[in-house]
Amino acid sequence: MLKVFKYTLIDLARNRFVLGYALLMLLVAQGLFALEGDPTKALLSLVQVVMALVPLIALVFTVVYMYDTIEFTQLLAVQPMTRSAILGGQLLALATALLLAQAVGLGLPLLVHSPTMAALVLSLSGSVLVLVFAALGALIALKQREKARGVGVALAIWFLFVLVYDALLMWAMFTLSDYPIEPFVVPLAGINPIDLARIMVMLQVDLAAMMGYSGAIYKNFFGSVGGTVVAALILLLWIAIPVLLAFRVFKRKDL
Amino acid sequence: MAEARIILQGVGKRYGALWALRHVDCAFHAGEVVMLIGPNASGKTTLIKSLLGLVRPTEGLIKVNDEVIGSDPAYRRAIGYMPQISQFPATLTIGQLLEMMADIRELGKSELEDSLVEELGLAAQLDKRLSTLSGGTKQKVSAVLALRTRPSILVMDEPTAGLDPVSSKRVLQRAAAVRDTGGTVLITSHLMEEVESLADRVAYLEDGTLKFLLPVQEVLERTGAKRVSEALPRMLESNAMSNIL
Repeated sequence: MLKVFKYTLIDLARNRFVLGYALLMLLVAQGLFALEGDPTKALLSLVQVVMALVPLIALVFTVVYMYDTIEFTQLLAVQPMTRSAILGGQLLALATALLLAQAVGLGLPLLVHSPTMAALVLSLSGSVLVLVFAALGALIALKQREKARGVGVALAIWFLFVLVYDALLMWAMFTLSDYPIEPFVVPLAGINPIDLARIMVMLQVDLAAMMGYSGAIYKNFFGSVGGTVVAALILLLWIAIPVLLAFRVFKRKDL
Repeated sequence: MAEARIILQGVGKRYGALWALRHVDCAFHAGEVVMLIGPNASGKTTLIKSLLGLVRPTEGLIKVNDEVIGSDPAYRRAIGYMPQISQFPATLTIGQLLEMMADIRELGKSELEDSLVEELGLAAQLDKRLSTLSGGTKQKVSAVLALRTRPSILVMDEPTAGLDPVSSKRVLQRAAAVRDTGGTVLITSHLMEEVESLADRVAYLEDGTLKFLLPVQEVLERTGAKRVSEALPRMLESNAMSNIL
């Protein structure tokens, strides 16, 4: 596995898309901190960008890379090594390359302009989202034979998590506003990894107060040690389940 | 008859409702070159992929060197494979790719046969990125990867496609050398004229069924043709092989 990891990482280190991702994040982060005098406000703007852009890039890049390297994956699969070693090496390299690009593009500006706990949580949340959506991307690429279809499914999933899910949640909250539904909001928000990551950052900048009763519930739950552990476990499951499914699919897949 | 190195017993592969291979029974021996031929979608590639472990047969079993192939990938140590389409990680260099593949097989320099790198004119291009190579050069790299590990089983899918005549000849000479040292070589090619001089037996597949697997000489004698490329249409038209099946 480490051999596949090493050479895949060498390949990815020179990949224009990965370098472009690092540069884009760097420009956005630097730009926001330069335009906004208050680092906290810049951080809040950056949260919105990270929560939308990071999942999209991790998802689409993983799907496209997996399709583009299918012939080489076949060549690896006829070597005396297990399929788990091949996929493990490839996924580890993809995750490492994207995380390194993000560390440069997002981590560095945060460290320079806003070395706070909120920035650290944003950086960690962004990293977790990279892993979640790279795992989902790998699963999509392995399940769908055609590249165009795979990219389409990836975009649909991103759209669902970033826009549709929140819209449905808000619609439900608005429609059922006469009922005490807030206790249900926490588990519902927790299902969506992007919402969960966003809540964790918001709690650090103490914006929960501006979110009304729901914010108070979030703060009560996710602000506690137990809540943080639950959030971490949910995010871990969002990584582990797609990865395990991807291994299962790849082991049986006809290449 | 030399020892059977690859044995297929009742091998079938179904994709959805379509059977790409149907109950294939045959053996490929040490010290022979077998030319796999057949029209498009006849099951040649599926047969090769089943043998390589890329495709899991729906039924039957495959033995390589007396071992039933399954989840243990160790049997592939004996195999060199040259695929029809050569795509490699774009930003790696030829040298890095060769190093990677040797690394994966845990082979040292002394265990590798690298003279083909020089012969195919790749020695001066080892620092070139794979994304910058022409299709023909990628095929050469692919040939080197298949042959440099000194395989006892060599599987080549359209090996001469995209290669210049000189390189084609050299690659086929190397395939012949594998046979001459006791190896088993399976080649699929649409350019029968190029490969038939090398082949000892011909396997003809159609609709996923192995129609016949005969020595080249026998195919020629039965039809009175001088070349396999001429013999094949005659055999199929006259159904001359019906008594063999």
